[in-house]
Amino acid sequence: MRSKAAAVVFCLGLGFILTLKPNLLFAQNANPAPAQQQSPASNASPQQDNLPNAPSSSKTEPSLEDLGFSSEQAQSNAKLQALLDKRTHMLKIHQRMGLITTVPLIATLALSLNAGGKNTGSASRDAHVALGALTGDLYGITAYYAIRAPRVPGTETRGPIRFHKAMAWIHGPGMILTPILGAMAFNQKNNGEKVHGIASAHGPVAIVTAGAFGAAVLSVSLKF
Amino acid sequence: MKKQLLAALLLWLVPVLFAADNQWVLQQATLTYHVSHPLHQTDGISHAARGKGVCHDGQCDFLIAVPVKSFDSGDSNRDLHMLQVTRGAEFPMVTVRSQLPESASSSATIRADLEIQFAGQTAQYKQVAFQVVTQGKQIQISGTIPATLSDFKIAPPTLLTMPIKNEIPVRVEMTWRQQ
Repeated sequence: MRSKAAAVVFCLGLGFILTLKPNLLFAQNANPAPAQQQSPASNASPQQDNLPNAPSSSKTEPSLEDLGFSSEQAQSNAKLQALLDKRTHMLKIHQRMGLITTVPLIATLALSLNAGGKNTGSASRDAHVALGALTGDLYGITAYYAIRAPRVPGTETRGPIRFHKAMAWIHGPGMILTPILGAMAFNQKNNGEKVHGIASAHGPVAIVTAGAFGAAVLSVSLKF
Repeated sequence: MKKQLLAALLLWLVPVLFAADNQWVLQQATLTYHVSHPLHQTDGISHAARGKGVCHDGQCDFLIAVPVKSFDSGDSNRDLHMLQVTRGAEFPMVTVRSQLPESASSSATIRADLEIQFAGQTAQYKQVAFQVVTQGKQIQISGTIPATLSDFKIAPPTLLTMPIKNEIPVRVEMTWRQQ
């Protein structure tokens, strides 16, 4: 009789407790998993490379799904990574070629002092033309890699790169106009004429072009 | 005999059943990485971190995650290069796991062992110091994680042929709320 009463009390008590804490029947954290052995070094296991956000092994630990990130945010995108890799590769070449282009550009500007004006000698002028042509070719290669570098969809252009891109609208047309005007001026000089007409704009156009080019280089090299 | 068994069972069950499980939720977080270069000093900031802590038997397991692309350095070109070099499209999330005793919330300074997954690599940081300020049911935790590029096998980006420094400390400021 007494044992039956005790059993009833026990069952009633258990039922009352389980009513208050129903998750106990389905508890996932009743026995926490033992802590994983971690090496002091910072090398990843091969599994980590394939599963960058592997769920926790312990039942007490929260998982990435618990935090509410969308699948789009947490999912790997190999295609986007390949696009970023290609973009970086091309822009690295663009940067390198841009820096290389500054060398003949500066040399061309330096030789321009003896290339025109009252100077009738052609050696300096020829050197100016040759270096100008080299500058134009290297500039074209530099521009190609910038234009053809893939864009990342959904990215808004912000920061100093905006100024760098804006300068292209000045030195781009300038690098086309300068050699055209220069060729006209070269012919006039070779014919013994004084440089006149639109050809006389070769110098100012070249200076503006070089200034915009230099500003573009500095805008991504130094912090303003 | 049966009574004794029943009593013993009840005595064992009651404390087990009434052991409290606490949960902590990350209310707000600011994570800032710092990059040093001879020509540039740059900080990238993210406010997009989410976190959760589950406490059981006096021990708490924490998980904090933040999308790599949420970091903003003020220059979209630099952010895209950062995303590329850290393989942020392939491994979009930085996750930080840590275990702390529940009593740590009452200390002014705590030292935590962190396991960080980033750029497809896992790195351990032992005894990282954090300052704790308690405000009612909220706790503000701040500290700096001494991360480096080599810990995550990231090739140092260069500018004008000069690489950035290997050290990329990450300043963490978090506000946790107990549920």
